[in-house]
Amino acid sequence: MSSAQIEIQLIASLVAIACAIPGTFLVLRKMAMISDAISHSILPGIVIGFFITQDLNSPLLILLAALTGVITVVLVEYIQKTGLVKEDTAIGLVFPVLFSIGVLMIAKKANDVHLDIDAVLLGELALAPFDRLLISGVDVGPKSLWIIGSILCITVLLLLAFFKELKLSTFDKGLAASLGFSPAIIHYGLMTVSSITTVGAFDAVGAILVVALMIAPAASAYLLTTDLKKMLILSIIFGVLSAISGYWFAHWLDASIAGSITTMLGVLFLIVYLFAPSKGIIAVLYREKQQRIEVSLLTFLLHLKNHDDENERHVNHLNEHINWQKVRSKIVLDLALKNNMIMIDDSIVFLTPKGDKFTTQAIDYIITNEDAQIEGMKDDFFLFRG
Amino acid sequence: MSNKIAVKVDDLTVAYNYKPVLWDIDLEIPESVLMAIVGPNGAGKSTLIKSILGILKPIAGSVSIYGKSYEKQRSLVAYVPQKGSVDWDFPTTALDVVMMGTYGSLGWIKRPKQKQKKAALEALEKVGMLPFKGRQISQLSGGQQQRIFLARALVQDASIYFMDEPFQGVDATTEIAIINILKELRKAGKTVIVVHHDLQTVPEYFDWVTFLNVKKIATGPVKDIFNDDNLTKTYGINYKVSIQE
Repeated sequence: MSSAQIEIQLIASLVAIACAIPGTFLVLRKMAMISDAISHSILPGIVIGFFITQDLNSPLLILLAALTGVITVVLVEYIQKTGLVKEDTAIGLVFPVLFSIGVLMIAKKANDVHLDIDAVLLGELALAPFDRLLISGVDVGPKSLWIIGSILCITVLLLLAFFKELKLSTFDKGLAASLGFSPAIIHYGLMTVSSITTVGAFDAVGAILVVALMIAPAASAYLLTTDLKKMLILSIIFGVLSAISGYWFAHWLDASIAGSITTMLGVLFLIVYLFAPSKGIIAVLYREKQQRIEVSLLTFLLHLKNHDDENERHVNHLNEHINWQKVRSKIVLDLALKNNMIMIDDSIVFLTPKGDKFTTQAIDYIITNEDAQIEGMKDDFFLFRG
Repeated sequence: MSNKIAVKVDDLTVAYNYKPVLWDIDLEIPESVLMAIVGPNGAGKSTLIKSILGILKPIAGSVSIYGKSYEKQRSLVAYVPQKGSVDWDFPTTALDVVMMGTYGSLGWIKRPKQKQKKAALEALEKVGMLPFKGRQISQLSGGQQQRIFLARALVQDASIYFMDEPFQGVDATTEIAIINILKELRKAGKTVIVVHHDLQTVPEYFDWVTFLNVKKIATGPVKDIFNDDNLTKTYGINYKVSIQE
């Protein structure tokens, strides 16, 4: 690997981490679309900042652009508060207007600089190593690396300091307010960090990838864990994995790095979505199938419990009586036999004491809905796992 | 109850988009009562609690807790929001949610330590949820979730407890468990204020009641004012409820 390659992967990874942290909270706050809005509407901020500073990497430009991001959030909330339109509509109204103002400003004034629409949307990660930071003439590395590195440091410090407050206000705004942790301060703090991260990452990876890096790793992690800290760590790992694998995918395809990283994020989410152990599609389908069988089993056992008549309990007449197809009756019958819940004596089905007890308990649970009764059964049967 | 006033509300008016939902409320809640706030849907019951707790800003009026503003008395107050107000799919455990009750005493930045964890475990024990401490909150039943919320309020070790519909969607056993804990709190000299829906259980559960329907209709001891007259004024024409003595 050349040093430029290493630098690109390092920048992409730092961007991924810096995005994953606020992204996790945006996903949990159901504000994923806000990051889309911010990433587009900071464009006029960047352009105005560029007119003032004449330097795309100036901290002032980053702050100005981040301010546009926060203004976007305020505007969206203001429009939404009037009660005339819903939040998603408000988002859809605000950011295209701001974005297009930025586009017009570039077209009119900034034609001669490297601010062009393609770079804005997809970034120019491949060019990042060529823009070096020189301190008293000494080359200390690419400018983007320093920018995103500084932003990441601030983000991590803020996260460590305010993790408790972020968690509380994300989970329960009302309690946060009543305990004196102003949800508004935390909300705008998070919005500011998201905006600054977006601007810092923007030049390297572009508006579209910033959104993907904020949302996709967090959404994937959400499907894999039930612990906020682990969710943050997983989001970071997923972000970095996609950044590095995306870089090599782009290298292999000889295509856009940003596009490849985004593709990797999509692939990663798809894999998690399919195979996540408890929330994944396959696990859910499997569980539903098990539940269907178990509900059938219970229906069948209840039928036996309620009917003494031999005619009702004859193996060959069961499907007529419970109104099932033969195959289903067979599966259920086998399952009941396997669990020692029934005996078949001369083609007449009987409940065993175990089957009888199970049926009583299960019905009790369904009627009273009390969990205490079935704690012991939960491990054996999906039906009661809620 | 003692003669001290725990919560005092003066001329409180709250509006959503200029439509008043609470109109000129005056209310004095004595210390050490177990009080129900009753009223029809949209009467402003939750709004009243949220305004007292500073979650909503009133357009007029003031609130005091033991004679001082809420901001100064935060540590004396615990709050149980409606169960539906949070996302139960949030990635966290029962114990962690209860720990959130200790955040108020910690203040900004400081992290919970062993002491807070111990308090949270004790609170879980009190509501009978200790065996579920490590369970993800979406894996709890409605009644269990409500118990977790109660434990989170208990861990605050407050003097005044505000609860927004703690019996909503819970089974009978949990309801009894919760009301017993609330009665214990009152016995210990705490003031408990509950938004309540089931009028039948008011005389059995509570010793104080406030009738609310945008305006305050009446407030006082259940035995004096829980009658058809006030119910009719609150809920509309000829509302009758058979009061079990």
